[in-house]
Amino acid sequence: MFEARSINVEHKDLIHDVAYDFYGLRLATCSSDQFVKVWDQDDQGNWHQTACWKAHTGSVWKVTWAHPEFGQVLATCSFDRTAAVWEEIVGEGSVPGERGMRHWVRRTNLVDSRTSVTDIKFAPKHLGLLLATCSADSVVRVYEAPDVMNLSQWTLQHEISCKLPFSCLSWNPSLSRLHPPMLAVGSDDSNASSGGKVFIFEYSENTRRWNKPETLPNVTEAVHDLAFAPNLGRSFHLLAVATKDVRIYTLKPLQDSSSMQSGLSRFDIQLSAQCDDHLCTVWRVCWNITGTLLASSGDDGCVRLWKSNYLHNWKCVSVLKGDGTQAQNESASTALATPVGVMASATQSTARDLDFIVV
Amino acid sequence: MSSRTFFVTQEGPANALALNKDYSHVVIAGRNVFKVYSIEEDEFVESCNLRTGKNLNLNFSCNDVAWNTIDDNILATAATNGAVVVWNLNRPTRSKQEHVFIDHKRTVNKVSFHPAEAAWLISGSQDGTMKCFDLRTKEATRTFYSNTESVRDVQFSPHQHNAFAAVSENGNVQLWDLRRSDRCYHQFTAHSGPVFACDWHPEVPWIATASRDKTIKVWDLSVKPSLEYTIHTIASVGHIKWRPQRKYHIASCALVVDCSVNVWDVRRPYIPFAAFNEHKDVATGISWRGNPHTFLSTSRDSTLYHHVFQDASRPASKANPQGIGLNCRGDVAYACRVNINPSRSAKFSNLLRKGAAQPSHSEQFCQALSNMQQFTCKEPKETYWFRECARRYILTGRSLADICDHNAAVAKDLKRQHVSLIWSIVKTLYSNKVGEYNQPTPPGNISRDESVPGGGVGGVGTTGAGTGGGGESLAGTGIDGDQRSLLGAGGDTPGAPMSGDDETETDETPEQHLNGHVGHLVGGMMFPAQGDFLFGDGELDPLSIDFDRIGLNGGVFVGTNAALDMQQDWTLPSEAFPLRHEIQDRSPPPEQFPNHGSPDMNDNETQTISIEDQPTSVLCVTSMPRLMAWDPSQTMVDMLKHHAVMGDVQTSASVLLALGERRRSLVSLDEATQEHWLLGYLDTLSRHRLWEVATQVIQLAWVPSVSQLNQQSTTVHTCCARCGKPLLRAGWLCDRCHCAEGAACSVCHQVVRGLYAWCQGCAHGGHLFHMQEWWANNKQCPTGCGHICEYS
Repeated sequence: MFEARSINVEHKDLIHDVAYDFYGLRLATCSSDQFVKVWDQDDQGNWHQTACWKAHTGSVWKVTWAHPEFGQVLATCSFDRTAAVWEEIVGEGSVPGERGMRHWVRRTNLVDSRTSVTDIKFAPKHLGLLLATCSADSVVRVYEAPDVMNLSQWTLQHEISCKLPFSCLSWNPSLSRLHPPMLAVGSDDSNASSGGKVFIFEYSENTRRWNKPETLPNVTEAVHDLAFAPNLGRSFHLLAVATKDVRIYTLKPLQDSSSMQSGLSRFDIQLSAQCDDHLCTVWRVCWNITGTLLASSGDDGCVRLWKSNYLHNWKCVSVLKGDGTQAQNESASTALATPVGVMASATQSTARDLDFIVV
Repeated sequence: MSSRTFFVTQEGPANALALNKDYSHVVIAGRNVFKVYSIEEDEFVESCNLRTGKNLNLNFSCNDVAWNTIDDNILATAATNGAVVVWNLNRPTRSKQEHVFIDHKRTVNKVSFHPAEAAWLISGSQDGTMKCFDLRTKEATRTFYSNTESVRDVQFSPHQHNAFAAVSENGNVQLWDLRRSDRCYHQFTAHSGPVFACDWHPEVPWIATASRDKTIKVWDLSVKPSLEYTIHTIASVGHIKWRPQRKYHIASCALVVDCSVNVWDVRRPYIPFAAFNEHKDVATGISWRGNPHTFLSTSRDSTLYHHVFQDASRPASKANPQGIGLNCRGDVAYACRVNINPSRSAKFSNLLRKGAAQPSHSEQFCQALSNMQQFTCKEPKETYWFRECARRYILTGRSLADICDHNAAVAKDLKRQHVSLIWSIVKTLYSNKVGEYNQPTPPGNISRDESVPGGGVGGVGTTGAGTGGGGESLAGTGIDGDQRSLLGAGGDTPGAPMSGDDETETDETPEQHLNGHVGHLVGGMMFPAQGDFLFGDGELDPLSIDFDRIGLNGGVFVGTNAALDMQQDWTLPSEAFPLRHEIQDRSPPPEQFPNHGSPDMNDNETQTISIEDQPTSVLCVTSMPRLMAWDPSQTMVDMLKHHAVMGDVQTSASVLLALGERRRSLVSLDEATQEHWLLGYLDTLSRHRLWEVATQVIQLAWVPSVSQLNQQSTTVHTCCARCGKPLLRAGWLCDRCHCAEGAACSVCHQVVRGLYAWCQGCAHGGHLFHMQEWWANNKQCPTGCGHICEYS
């Protein structure tokens, strides 16, 4: 079902984030080596690095694409306490026919944080050009570019402070106008006694403030990642949380009178899945574009794909092993231990290198 | 040895600290503080305050302090006034000041004792010199001229008796021999900015330098200076100290911004191995206590800290070692750390050899590399379904029964039985009861005739539940619609091959493509003569196919603002061609060009719309199905909602679109949800780059916020062709020339209604048809302006 293709990224340190663009045709990677790389896929499906630049003076934690309506725009955040917005510029190529040299320029540097900026995400497109960052000093910042044509001007619209160091955030991507802008923020504070680690913030149009209507009650372990499922037509929200296991929460907005009066939404929060198949720390969760398939990855070096069956039980449908060393160990006798580049076909000799299993 | 983190606060910040040779006492020195503390189990105890006496002059204001490496009672300070002061803790008087060397002309940055010779003291000053003092003779025995602005640090080599290193603000490192003061024996530029500190490695012939350029560099001096490692930090580095007994570890503190003391592994130069975040302001000095586990630091926040390694934070452990991404085709990109802790992966791998030596934490730390895999989804069923359904579904232009039949067949063909069933149910429930008259929007220009009666009757039946009369009278038009759609079916089949072109229109041969479209158009639309100039020749333009590449070269710009706002990543001129493309592909649906923004184009069309819009959105009210024993609407809503929840918003949105006005019977479905579904469908369509379908959905949408989507974000600026003045008020009428010449066709001199094509070079143009004809035979502009227009 899946064909593995190793991409020789040549980052000199850990890769902390991988992001597809809106169309899934470009990839951005960021690493502790302070570089960001952009990859484009050719017709054969091979990925080619088309840009590579030193983006920060510290580890680059996250990289994220803006909606293409705003251009080819990336945002990064880093251990160096800054976040940056990058735009790809197509030079006025002198050679006709060629698409012109493309390069990325830094449009802005957001320096408000006093500590490592741990996550950065663009808001859903219909909210405008908004950018949220969270940092280890327990602050969520929401920036806005009032003029979408001018990516160098960002105003800090909101600062939401909390007590715990934040590690990850996710915008609720719901397209419905019944759902006000919403952010989920997670903390990787490992002290269970400090209470819930996932906070839900909601923007109130009336008060023009971000409120914190909910804290997920049962998540007391360190949260490494969280992701709202794309909401193309649901009345409720799905939130995946990566902690010591994978959890999926449903948040149903409650339409009761008290919430109408206070303007503060309330939610019926249900834990709809808790899966510890990874048997270890889960680092990342990621939804497909319809919000029907969840991918999670953990210290076991596997990607697990989760799907909900007709009873709304989430089941693991695939396990993808993405660990190069195991492939090398296994094929130590064969000389070609490092498959890099094109995998033409999964012949027997290379099948080992295509290190995956489908359950 | 104490093993706790503790601190003491002083009255002022200290600029430096120094430990005595057995690490039991610490001296801190600053502008207003100069004290000796003894280091107890879990506290600092002040043992001597040297800042005493009546005349506290500038000699007490210290930039640096050093403790004699042999004699435990001798201290030296570098004073801000240029003096080097030697202190003797054994003096019986209150003042411990022993001697003051006033040799430097400017402030002294650094003092340092020789590790083996108790009497040798060296200083580095802002005046660019270093002086070696002999404490026995109490004089400066040698002066070394660095030929630089200022010397920031000077350190005796622990490896060579007579060697010392000096770093200066111009980025240079100099290596000197004590016996030769005329010139240094090595000099190299280490940094692009001022070097603030250096530190000899205690074991190997390395020296580390720290600079304002935010890097720490490690140089191997064994042969000739060569750069071994570069550590990238987040701020100017003020001080560095190698960690004892750890070959690759070095501690650093920043001059600004970063208040932590970081310990780096030079082999992993990007992220600190450990960080000590106790200070509230930048640290000004660090000194290890002779072991790798404890060190002291002073800070501008006026504290002196005793740090233990076990209390350090490990930034790398919080760092996310994995990245994962999913795209719209179901591919998974996954990056993870190469060396996974074996104990953990053992459960998952039977390959693991037991008893393999587990590398130490520090070893593991520096072996940080990721590999990345893309798992390509080989059979992306859902993606395939979505794309095929999006392309092949018919949403309008025929009777509901036909639409449902067709779509059910499409779904069935794709083996989506349940979706197929839904279409069949929709047909059963909704197509028979209601008169055929209320097709969502009568297609094409001929609709102008029919829509008038349709609108009239709709107005009568506003209060709902269409009277029998209304139903009958409209059945006639419904038949018309059927006939058209039959004809349209002819066009669909040749159009089918083009459904293979998802992202790469270029792959297709233009002929095939065009044939498909032409057939599509002619069969489906029955365009009256006036439709020809709109599309006929546009079809034959091969370049319209690979619009996204060649668009920039297009010399002729065909303007409509029906552009998809999703295409923002293209530059404006390139949108000319996608637009034509959209129009071609959308042939079966009604041609409504919401062209309000640029009235000089499509005048005909706008008129048509103004009429045909009314029945759909304002006047034409559905004739509700007669009260039946069972009202299916709630079931329908539930079913659609179910599909939306299951992630199949395509079905929900498509059914709504196909239902047309009948959707109003779904009373329990609020408009916000409908809008949500449409937006969701559009979002997915644009991810799959199915622009034609997206445009059709936008045009069929009844929710204003959706139907206006293609009127946003695209602006066409026009200028008067005669005087060049931008046309602001109206798209064609020039305020200066008071003429509408810009709207006239350069060939036939008639005012262009509909598509207006013009050369971007000379701004002359006209009917697309005429322009194409002209340029087929001519190169120059038809107005005779002499411009060689480029038409592609």
